[in-house]
Amino acid sequence: MAYQTNYRKNTMDSKDFTPFNRRRFLGTASALGAAGVLAACGKDPVPVTAAPASAPAPAADAKKYAGQSLNLLFNQPHAVAGKLLAEEFEKLTGAKVTVTPVPYDQLHAQATLDVQSGAHQFDVIDYFYHTLGALVADKVVLDVTDWIERDKAQIQPADFLPSLYDTYTLRDGRRWGLPYDGDTHVLFYNTEIFARHKLAAPKTWEDYYQAAKLITEKESANGIYGAAVQGFKIPVIVGSSYANRLAGFGGSFFTADGKPALTSPEAVAAAEELLRIVPYALPTPAETAFEHALPAFLSGKAAMIDFWTDLGVTAQDPKSSQIVDKWSLVQLPVGGKNTTPRAALNAGFGLGITTGTQKTELAWEFVKWATSKDISLQQDVLPGSGIDPNRTSVLNHPDYIKAAPLLQPQLKAAIGNALAWPLQAQSPKLMDALTEQLALIVAGKKKPKDALASAQASWEQLLKA
Amino acid sequence: MLTPASFGLAVVCIVPGLYTLALAFTHSSLGQPLAAWSGLGNFHALFQNPEFAQTLLRTVLYALPASFIQLSLGLLIALLLQALRQGQFVRSLVLLPLMTPPVLVGVAWKLLLAPAGGLVNGTLLRLGWIAEPVSLLGSDTWALPALALADTWQWLPFVVILCFAALQTLPADVFEAAALDGASTRGIFLKITLPLLAPALLGIFLLRVVMSLKTFDLVYILTAGGPGRATALASYEVWKTGLQNFDIGAAAAQTLLFSFAVAAVTWPILKALQWVERRTG
Repeated sequence: MAYQTNYRKNTMDSKDFTPFNRRRFLGTASALGAAGVLAACGKDPVPVTAAPASAPAPAADAKKYAGQSLNLLFNQPHAVAGKLLAEEFEKLTGAKVTVTPVPYDQLHAQATLDVQSGAHQFDVIDYFYHTLGALVADKVVLDVTDWIERDKAQIQPADFLPSLYDTYTLRDGRRWGLPYDGDTHVLFYNTEIFARHKLAAPKTWEDYYQAAKLITEKESANGIYGAAVQGFKIPVIVGSSYANRLAGFGGSFFTADGKPALTSPEAVAAAEELLRIVPYALPTPAETAFEHALPAFLSGKAAMIDFWTDLGVTAQDPKSSQIVDKWSLVQLPVGGKNTTPRAALNAGFGLGITTGTQKTELAWEFVKWATSKDISLQQDVLPGSGIDPNRTSVLNHPDYIKAAPLLQPQLKAAIGNALAWPLQAQSPKLMDALTEQLALIVAGKKKPKDALASAQASWEQLLKA
Repeated sequence: MLTPASFGLAVVCIVPGLYTLALAFTHSSLGQPLAAWSGLGNFHALFQNPEFAQTLLRTVLYALPASFIQLSLGLLIALLLQALRQGQFVRSLVLLPLMTPPVLVGVAWKLLLAPAGGLVNGTLLRLGWIAEPVSLLGSDTWALPALALADTWQWLPFVVILCFAALQTLPADVFEAAALDGASTRGIFLKITLPLLAPALLGIFLLRVVMSLKTFDLVYILTAGGPGRATALASYEVWKTGLQNFDIGAAAAQTLLFSFAVAAVTWPILKALQWVERRTG
């Protein structure tokens, strides 16, 4: 921690740290945001009522970073958004931004090795929030608490979705980045198949099970199944499927006093629900990940899928979807005694600054800008960007409502009390231990209660260590 | 003359070896290697949990039969190629899977074996040979054989080419003499070809065993070690410990144990190779 404190102090005290003029910067960003949205939406432009905060900054002032460069380590599914950010930031500041997209599960390792090896290739990292504790423990990201406080009028921290802000940025009482992509799952369903069987959108996991059972029994001979259930043995796949059910049953990964709660009745019920659906799911959940589940749903072979919200964009794209206008979505179902729908924060990303960067000023300006209201909105309505709202103002913005009319009300209702994955430094290990047991449940090798008891024991041991 | 070579060897072998050894006895994360001395802690944790021992056993039980099958098939195909008079084109064709990047091999087999929409299941369903899709990669019985199948598809050409090359080195006069003496084709194969080829075959087998023991890419793409732990092989587990859970100390301890397992498996093959070489001169 001493290293971090000293580093932070050095960078904060730096004489050459001269942030943009807030009004000019926001004004330029707003104008560019409006232009970008119009350009990005192509055939179906979404008119943006950009806040006319102030006149655009004179080019000479705004391009004070001309000739400098910034390297971003970005999540692969965010590549489209990264390209947009690079182009817009260069136009705005003159700084050349290079985006290196890597698979989400390699972000942490790449960033850590970059800092640990002394290579210092990357200035900004697009981190999965559940790995932030480990990044902090390994001194990979900079503490930006004081910068947020200094620039809070510009950043407007209160505008970040409350369920995301602390979860994505707060560890050990300090903040290490800003929320960027507010990922959650919702339940998508095929309205045509549902209409064929006179089914209503599932509100409970029992509804979901009965609908899947009925559809599979009636239509599996034609290759149509009730649900695509992602049970492939990696945390973000089977872990997300389980987290969806855990949230629905009103459970949590931890008790209020921070102890593992994997043997709670809700946790066991969620695992039993995951197991119960296996015979009626697209064969077979144990080997189902994105590459099987998505084509199945988009080709009308699976009637339901719990998936990230941006599937809605793909489902309406005739190039990749055979179910255009034949789908809808609802919040994740509820189960047991719980009657309040609740989202699970499956994935979700923040932007942080690496401790190895020599360009802290530029990196911080980029992070603030990329997570600002106007630029966030611009990315959220960009098809294929993979970016979901990080701010209340964006979620409630007319342009976002227009771009995501089905999703917005569901997201707004469910994200407030969303269930987060473990946030400790040991989180990768915790989720791996849980994934091992969930895989055994999905494969039918272990009863849910026994498997979760094993996971609970592993978690207790890992947290004690 | 030897100094630069020795130095190179030290850099690429001894230094990483010593570093791995040091990591195995310390608390090391990806970001903070060699953070604190842990003594035998990492090994103790591995011995306390039977899962890694099971993983090593599973890896050996995967590698030995897969390599043996590949060697048998490879030799058979090499003999067929040798019998072909115009085999140049076929030999080039046989090499194609070897030129395919491992990641693509995994993706291709994943698509081929997919229960819903996969080519294998689709064909079997159309032919009426199965009533419902079969999930090979989702079955704890069939996942490992399915992995071996993909591995065989990828590496069989390599074995074929090595066997074919070995066949070309056999002295033609011995075969001509045997034929003149009226030896049968089966007799020639069993009593002349196989004994003469034995050192080469054992060498190829050794090579394939070592490569199969290190199988990672197919597990990573096809199964991620599942279903359950049915395809959790050692290299994948070491990668997961080190680069997914970021416990480099534990991953180093796993690596050392895995190295001992590889040595234990390959030692008898090496001994057999030495014995055969002595016998065949």
